[in-house]
Amino acid sequence: MSIDFFWRLPTHGCHSSIRRGNYDRGDWSATGPHHLAPGLDGAGEADGFAYIDHLAQIAKAAESVGFQGGLIPSFPNTDDPWVIAPLLARETRSFRFMIAYQPGFGNPVHFARASASLQRASGGRALFNIITGGGGPAQLWWGDSFAHDDRYGRTSEWLDVFRGVWEHDSFDYDGRFYRVEGAHLPAHLRAEALPELWFSGSSEAALQVAARHADYYLSWLEPFDQLADKFARVKERTAQLGGEQKVSVRVDLVARKTEEEAWADIARGFENVSEATRAQWRRRDGDSVGAARLAALRPTEATHWQDLKIAPGLWGGFNLLRGGPSIGIVGSYEQCAEKLDELIRLGADGFILAGTPHLEEAWRVGEEVLPLLGQSAGALREAAE
Amino acid sequence: MTLTIHWQLDVAAEPARGEPALRPALPPLLRDPRQTSQNRFDYYAQVAEAAAQGRFDGLYLPFAADGDDSRIVAAALAREVRRIALVAGFPASVGSAVYAAKQAVSFQRATGNRLGWAIAPDADAATRAGFGDFVPEAQLGQRLEEFLVVARGVHGQHPFSHAGAFFAVEQGGFEAPLNRAAFPPVWLQGESEEALALSARQADVHLFAPTADLAALIEGLDGLAKAAGRQVGFGLHQPVLARESTEEALFEAGRSPPPQGALVGSYEEVAGQLARRVRLGIGQLVLSAGPQLEEAYRIGQHLLPRLRALIATPAKAA
Repeated sequence: MSIDFFWRLPTHGCHSSIRRGNYDRGDWSATGPHHLAPGLDGAGEADGFAYIDHLAQIAKAAESVGFQGGLIPSFPNTDDPWVIAPLLARETRSFRFMIAYQPGFGNPVHFARASASLQRASGGRALFNIITGGGGPAQLWWGDSFAHDDRYGRTSEWLDVFRGVWEHDSFDYDGRFYRVEGAHLPAHLRAEALPELWFSGSSEAALQVAARHADYYLSWLEPFDQLADKFARVKERTAQLGGEQKVSVRVDLVARKTEEEAWADIARGFENVSEATRAQWRRRDGDSVGAARLAALRPTEATHWQDLKIAPGLWGGFNLLRGGPSIGIVGSYEQCAEKLDELIRLGADGFILAGTPHLEEAWRVGEEVLPLLGQSAGALREAAE
Repeated sequence: MTLTIHWQLDVAAEPARGEPALRPALPPLLRDPRQTSQNRFDYYAQVAEAAAQGRFDGLYLPFAADGDDSRIVAAALAREVRRIALVAGFPASVGSAVYAAKQAVSFQRATGNRLGWAIAPDADAATRAGFGDFVPEAQLGQRLEEFLVVARGVHGQHPFSHAGAFFAVEQGGFEAPLNRAAFPPVWLQGESEEALALSARQADVHLFAPTADLAALIEGLDGLAKAAGRQVGFGLHQPVLARESTEEALFEAGRSPPPQGALVGSYEEVAGQLARRVRLGIGQLVLSAGPQLEEAYRIGQHLLPRLRALIATPAKAA
């Protein structure tokens, strides 16, 4: 059995430390003398660099330490993964580009062509994180007014067409959301491998689409028993269709030499959270079931960082420190590896890991944590002796 | 008079070039070191670099249903080929205008505003059906216009809302830093009245075909654009077959008929013909010839300097 580990490219800027959510890497907040890789210098003049140069550094770090590649997330205020991937394709060697994409946003035949071209540009290193959107104002921002379950229906049909043009000389489809007649890809594009699909979504509608289409079902980290239950449910649905479902976890790590150092960074980060961020943290909108599952787990207010310790080695306040899911792993290198081992024992076939700052933490996690995987029990025994 | 000169990279032309899988295998005498991942993208990169070193101002990559996706090709080349603009083609059936605008802005941020949009003319109904595009013929112009209005709207305004026949956005629009990038210049084409009217309202550059009656069309479009309170650049796609001597050019034309409307002649003659078109008001030239790599060198080295010298000299009174 082999497990695929991916890293993540921060498409909305990055922080030089998990202790401060100030986006001081890149031009995603007002730039100043302490910013790095911004594109604009302190005086607001172009400095000859662009944010893509920072992302290139992270991608190269991730491939150097042995990650498969990285997730490239997409939200309203981010750079776009369909552009980032081809931009970096020819200067990276093994890094696989996991493009986060909401299928509703593009014509499936055009995007099949684009995907095949990206495969050709990168030597087959494209894959997708299929997302279906969190609803609410963000969905309307994109120009998408579909209701929750219709969005999943559309995703499913989109994937039917995407796959159909890849697998047939000429493809006809007549669905609720999509219709094509005689759709096809040029032969040299069709010769490329269909990109792997990592599928996100926690609702019943999502699990059904996952069972039909997903190579990997992807979940944010949840408390382990809850996650095991979720994995069991999606595996059951896929089994009903005669398949075997691989599952995967997207999780941030704060991995340090010692457990004390790791939690000290969490504590410092928590102290630096602004009141505005805290207010946003209390609020939630949209129709995302995954977000609701996580929100249900946390207190409505946290006055001390320890209020958000939800299990040994798990902290539930990551979304106070940076945008994204709330639960992450905190501990020594050995403890972090042990948690990942536990998830592998729970059935995880793949991971998307991340840490802040993404560049230095790619090196740290790659060099210090990944080599301990599968050996953590032994390592812990040695440390105790 | 400023003139920008683009080289055309047609991703569907010379389909076997740089594609080992589509060429005869090397004889067994040779040990072929190439890997299966090597393909035409290396050739595209060579053509683009030839255009850059040959002092073209940009690369024009029209949409080609039989070839690689032009926007992916443009992005894949952008970081290794310096300086030149990359005008990439796609049709308005590509999907969400908001998403297309966001992709464009990311490209602009990463490359210092080197992207252009070459909107492909609408294909026939059967081809469109193959792309799942069943918008009635009579509404294609409206769809394209709405696509551009929404794409520019989300780029330039925040909040931006739009409720149209083809696209709807509520409280959308890009924030900093996305809205700091320039929107890509939009290239449209077509010689019909409707196409010219649309260009007057929406195009940054209108690209004429080589067979067009340039003087009349330029005058007409200029009038429409002025009436709309806009400026539209006049572009010309011009195939060329240029050689050291007229005889060589004609010989080559006899061996391989050039595309309709191509300028055939010596470097001096072709440069002179191009300069005439520039004096009619053409400000953007897209030159094409095959094979695309060798001709990029030839044209860049021998034709462009002559053309630029002619343009720099004020035209003698006729």
